[in-house]
Amino acid sequence: MPLSATCNEVRCYHCGEPCLATVTRLEEKTFCCEGCKMVYSIINEYALCDYYNLNENPGVAQRIKVRKDKFAFLDDASIAAKLVSFRNDEQVHIKFYLPQIHCSSCLYLLENLHRLDRGVISAKVDFTHKEATIVIQAKTTSLRQLAELLARIGYEPYISLNDLNGKRPVYNKRMISQLGVAGFCFGNIMLLSFPEYLGIGVSEQGLKNIFHWISFALSVPVLLYAAIPFYESSWKSLRHRFLNIDAPIALAIIITFSRSAWEVLSGTGAGYFDSMSGIVFFMLAGRVLQDKTYQRLSFERDYTSYFPVAVSVLKKDKEIPTALPGIKVGDTVLIHNDELVPADGILSRGNAYIDYSFVTGESIPVLKETGELVYAGGKQTGGSIEIFVLKEVSQSYLTSLWEKDDTTKTGESKSSFVHLLSRYFTYIIFAIAAGTAFYWYNHDTHKLWPAVTAIFIIACPCALLLSNSFTNGNMLRILGRNHFFLRNAQTIEQIADTTNIVFDKTGTLTSSIEQEIIYEGNPLTAIQTKQVSSLAGCSNHPLSRALAKQFPSKKNMQVLAYKETPGEGIEGFVDNDLVKIGTCCFVCGKTDLRMETAVFISFENDLLGWFRFRNHYRNHIPSLLAELKKEYRLSVLSGDNASEKQTLQKLLGDDADILFNQKPENKLAYIKELQQKGAHVMMIGDGLNDAGALKQSNTGIAVCEQTNNFTPASDAIIEAAQLSRLGAFIRLCRANRKIVMASFGLSILYNLVGLFFAVQGNLSPLIAAILMPSSSLCIFLVTFGSSNLLAKRMHL
Amino acid sequence: MAVIVILLIASLSIASIFLLAFLWGVRTGQFEDDYAPSARMLFDDKPVSPIIKKKSK
Amino acid sequence: MQVEKFYYDNKIVKAFGYATVIFSIVGMLAGLYASIQIYLPQASMNMAATTFGRVRPLHTNAIIFAFVGNASFAGIYYSLQRLCKARLFSDRLSWIHFWGWQSIIVAAAITLLMGKTTGKEYAELEWPIDIAITLVWVVFGINMFGTIIKRREKHLYVAIWFYIATWVTVAMLHIVNSIEIPVSFMKSYSWYAGVQDALVQWWYGHNAVAFFLTTPVLGLMYYFLPKAANRPVYSYRLSIIHFWALIFIYIWAGPHHLLYTALPDWAQSLGVVFSIMLIAPSWGGMLNGLFTLRGAWDKVKEDPVLKFMVVAITCYGMATFEGPMLSLKSVNAIAHYTDWIIAHVHIGGLGWNGFMAFAILYYMVPKMWGTTLYSNKLATNHFWLGTIGIIVYAVPMYWAGFEQSLMWKSFTPEGQLKFQFLETVTSIKPLYILRSVGGALYLCGAFIMVYNLAKTIRQGVFIPNEAAEAAPLVKENTQKKEYWHRVIERKPVTMLVASLVVVALGGLIEMIPTFLIKENIPTIASVKPYRPLELQGRDIYIREGCYTCHSQMIRPFRDEVARYGEYSKAGEFVYDHPFQWGSKRTGPDLAREGGKYPDSWHYNHMYDPRSMSPGSIMPQYVWLLDNALDTASTPAKIRAMIRLGVPYPAGYDKNANADLIQQENVITESLKKDKIKTPPNAEIIALIAYMQRIGTDIKTESKK
Repeated sequence: MPLSATCNEVRCYHCGEPCLATVTRLEEKTFCCEGCKMVYSIINEYALCDYYNLNENPGVAQRIKVRKDKFAFLDDASIAAKLVSFRNDEQVHIKFYLPQIHCSSCLYLLENLHRLDRGVISAKVDFTHKEATIVIQAKTTSLRQLAELLARIGYEPYISLNDLNGKRPVYNKRMISQLGVAGFCFGNIMLLSFPEYLGIGVSEQGLKNIFHWISFALSVPVLLYAAIPFYESSWKSLRHRFLNIDAPIALAIIITFSRSAWEVLSGTGAGYFDSMSGIVFFMLAGRVLQDKTYQRLSFERDYTSYFPVAVSVLKKDKEIPTALPGIKVGDTVLIHNDELVPADGILSRGNAYIDYSFVTGESIPVLKETGELVYAGGKQTGGSIEIFVLKEVSQSYLTSLWEKDDTTKTGESKSSFVHLLSRYFTYIIFAIAAGTAFYWYNHDTHKLWPAVTAIFIIACPCALLLSNSFTNGNMLRILGRNHFFLRNAQTIEQIADTTNIVFDKTGTLTSSIEQEIIYEGNPLTAIQTKQVSSLAGCSNHPLSRALAKQFPSKKNMQVLAYKETPGEGIEGFVDNDLVKIGTCCFVCGKTDLRMETAVFISFENDLLGWFRFRNHYRNHIPSLLAELKKEYRLSVLSGDNASEKQTLQKLLGDDADILFNQKPENKLAYIKELQQKGAHVMMIGDGLNDAGALKQSNTGIAVCEQTNNFTPASDAIIEAAQLSRLGAFIRLCRANRKIVMASFGLSILYNLVGLFFAVQGNLSPLIAAILMPSSSLCIFLVTFGSSNLLAKRMHL
Repeated sequence: MAVIVILLIASLSIASIFLLAFLWGVRTGQFEDDYAPSARMLFDDKPVSPIIKKKSK
Repeated sequence: MQVEKFYYDNKIVKAFGYATVIFSIVGMLAGLYASIQIYLPQASMNMAATTFGRVRPLHTNAIIFAFVGNASFAGIYYSLQRLCKARLFSDRLSWIHFWGWQSIIVAAAITLLMGKTTGKEYAELEWPIDIAITLVWVVFGINMFGTIIKRREKHLYVAIWFYIATWVTVAMLHIVNSIEIPVSFMKSYSWYAGVQDALVQWWYGHNAVAFFLTTPVLGLMYYFLPKAANRPVYSYRLSIIHFWALIFIYIWAGPHHLLYTALPDWAQSLGVVFSIMLIAPSWGGMLNGLFTLRGAWDKVKEDPVLKFMVVAITCYGMATFEGPMLSLKSVNAIAHYTDWIIAHVHIGGLGWNGFMAFAILYYMVPKMWGTTLYSNKLATNHFWLGTIGIIVYAVPMYWAGFEQSLMWKSFTPEGQLKFQFLETVTSIKPLYILRSVGGALYLCGAFIMVYNLAKTIRQGVFIPNEAAEAAPLVKENTQKKEYWHRVIERKPVTMLVASLVVVALGGLIEMIPTFLIKENIPTIASVKPYRPLELQGRDIYIREGCYTCHSQMIRPFRDEVARYGEYSKAGEFVYDHPFQWGSKRTGPDLAREGGKYPDSWHYNHMYDPRSMSPGSIMPQYVWLLDNALDTASTPAKIRAMIRLGVPYPAGYDKNANADLIQQENVITESLKKDKIKTPPNAEIIALIAYMQRIGTDIKTESKK
């Protein structure tokens, strides 16, 4: 995460983050923490220092240490079996997701893993997916050792419950092959058709025939293999009694082929093989461009990809790592620092500081005393706690959000305007064809078939499809470039139709990484502030770090007798004053009355005051809302109490509904209600508690601080920093449709020219061959040009 | 210009050989990761030995 | 199963590297020598072997196949091992490849100087050597694909794709173009005739440039540039697209070498279209190369290797832009047959190929001798000498090209040609001299390199086998998959070889008899086969490499028709095995030479050109006057021609020599009239016979 970089601070040689409090050194290199130093010493020991030569401080901060037996569960055969992709008695293959992968140094280090552990046979990094496929010798190295090795060098594998039922998105190789085949055939057919157009002499009839036959042969694979996607989708749509754009295209392809084949067989002409293969090629290219989704993001994440694979269950004082599904009601599970509460239960031991940011977006930990109810999905910060399980994982409050998935949203049936357009288009073509047929039937029956077929050849809505897919593809690219990632091209249209925008408050409007810290009590002197920040700097607790960040100091003071009581607070002697920072009862014995997150400080055991933590609104949010409320009806749904009402009302205007204490189901219901009123709703949220609503809404946009953080299932993912440009994004999506229409209109002109010849029954292959590419080319230029231009104008 | 037929056959066969190669490449995921290979080829694969500490830059 | 330790074979790379250095000097010297003869004909020393017509093919072959060829092999064998993380497939094959190739080069040098040539540019070598090349090439192929199969790195880096393309395509081109029918050891006739031969030849010629001088070097660029700059290539995806686009377009650009010739229009235009398309992929490659260095120009400042590469890539860009321009008919009308083309190819040769080869040598030698370059300063000097050399070479040649072309085309107000051909030549002589200077500078640079590398080698210790370690390719998940994996992996290789052989042999054997022969039935009734003496004369014409300076193809332009006569028709060449259209007019076109001058003129002109046309730069061919014509070969030659479908009467080979002697006597008689005494069996007689025949058949028709 980007820290507020105050000037000339020491940066960590490993991770490049500023060394706040503790600066540790090794071979005159500075490190921000022991973790980073550890990693360096290992890498150095094995002469892998190119790791540091390839990029500057390539590492990832190692402050949060990995718990010793965190990966114990990998020793459990049943769990391991589910994770490995292949195993026999000498080899084990496993694919780990390593979110830390980000540069060539990572690549270098990981692919040299075999140097660090002789048991590793090979490691291959898939950079785009941030995955490493590692092969180890079953005898020498265990999975657990491997995982721990990775963790030790700063690449802790991310193993989630989702990996147990390992389903990964597969990259569409088929269409690439089809594109290749189409391209190959198109190129050669074009080559063979040129002589015709370049006026090959009549004397060389024999040669011409050979060319025709070869083109014929070459266009067969196009018909039978490359064009399959169009047949499939049109067949599917027809089965749903619905005429999508691919139907007329498939028809046109088949007609073109058979007409051309007939011409060659009867030796009457060259046919339109080049046009046909060309079109297929271009359309496939468009498809590929459009379907090029962001492989590193997953829009499908559900809670399983966030939950751990296993937790340690206490059975007569023994920690037994147990696969999550295997947890029964009545078990007692042990949750360590930074671990997730997997199931609803009662806190049976220890003080819990639970960070529900993943559920509600509220990142400030809330204190739970023993005996209180804790919900699954919260993350424990501080010491270990024990929880007596009340509900099985799948039954727990949070997961049930998923199970009762009564939303009625299906991507297919929401048909794009393109399909409607193409339908009219098709009707018109049929009409024209009928008319022509009728005319020639009465005048010159020989011309009937040439004319009719020519009509279908020239006037297939491929132009429409092209303009659509190319524009969409380019849009996705532009938006992606601005860190606004759409699940698919369909979403563009959905966004364009938006009438209502619903925001979640915490974590969406407010930032979940930076808080406002308000101090109350007797004012602190400069020295005292310094002492506090120095002490806070020693701890890794989020609140402490927030404090240290709040009052950064160039030169930190010595802290003696530092002591951290997990879940309570920290204390230590900072130039001879005993300073305590922590919970009320930790600092001054008595429990705090206000149930608000606050950190108390005392000097020499007398209470000076406390810091209150409030989340603060992201920058630009006010301007964004001001901009949006002009065009859309806005609403805010918040899980917490109404304390913020006035502020929000001011921001959103009076007519906006602002609802508080909203349970997930309320949110969902609210969206539904709007939709019943005919609204087209865009929901913007971050936490799991928004998941239902995100699903229900026409476009659910998940906000996240970094793109590889957790996001609930959604239609789009937006990086928090980009939220301010939402308005521009929506406008761009609106423009998308206009562009498609424009370029389509343009290509219609070409079609008319073509039709002019076609209806007369004398459409020469040359004309077709000129019209097809030139119209496609036009479409390229128009779509790319205009969309990029637009983007530039919107400063995207 | 019948000779052009010979050239055609020659060129076509070459092209189709490459098409096969291309399909093979796609099938075996040769073109999936379009960053790693370009970085990977920069690394030396010298055997580990205590002598090598740092690469001479 | 453990991480495997293995060794890269540096010995073979070293061998090819040495060969590269040696032949770079040899080839450049030959070039320099040839260039001097152009303004100093006496430099030929009146010896057949040292005359331009034989030295020039030596120069081109030495540079293309010996210098660039060896450089490519060195670079490929160096990079292929490291990219595949495997030692070369077989050391024995490597060495067979090496010695095979070197002996081919030596054989080529000897035979070319002896005048053993097929008379097809860039494919001059005679059939036994062609076969040898094929075999060595197969060895190279096996070695390369073998290495690829036993590789330890799953992904084939883009460079390897370029190497594969090189191998496959060159194999095909070489086979198709070299189909010839042997007359004797070291003498053969091309299977194709006239227009057809021309088309095949330039289809080959252009692709030779594409796949012997470009794709391998591009592959090398994609390996050595990132290595030298120690940063990944600008866009790997672009490099892959670049490759596939190039492969699919290059093959058809050939015909642009034949614009305005007797080649059918549509075939010409085809060449143009594809040549234009070529700009895209070529520039894709160039930009990818240059962008790789963006933000690293400081490195370029200090590292000579990168310096050379930058200029090389820039030259590649210039050449690949100029090429398509030259293939535009209007431009081609001016540039063709002039020194413009010479400038164009030398931008590519000196700039792209030469500098790339130097860069690679400067990179590999220190690495393989475990040391650093002896002197960056010297290398930098080499760089500047070379760069200046290129400029001093290219600029005068462009200038000469323009000037001469304009002079050719200029008319007096009365509609007469403004300049005699000779005038156009003498006016650009100074530029020819400048060209030699440029070449000399470039050569000096090369000498500096030799010294620098020698010093480097002395200060280092050669590492014959460079240790490396890598994990073996792991099996795919399940046994079944694994099996498929392997099969697919081998597939392209088997496919490559199999379909190559099948198509090359099967296809051609099917086609040739049916089409070619049939096509050679004369379309112009008056065009008759050559008489035996003329045939012999023609072979002398080929032997002496006359085609290197004289074209036999009058394009349908006003000036050419005015200067040389009726423009050439496709039908006139049906008996020309091989065609002799030529590609450069250092001397005038000869397509209508027949009957222009008396026999005696030719006799004297051959003895001393300057006696007939003062200021001429043509060398003397004194030996033609003394050498006796080898008439023993006549029957074999006639038989060969008959096999190629030339309609000599059956059994004509028996009494061919009778006709030959009869024609000899006629010519000796006519010479005697002009007080020239010569033995009737002198080679000169045969040559005169041929000269007087060229382009006359069609005249007889017009007389009728």
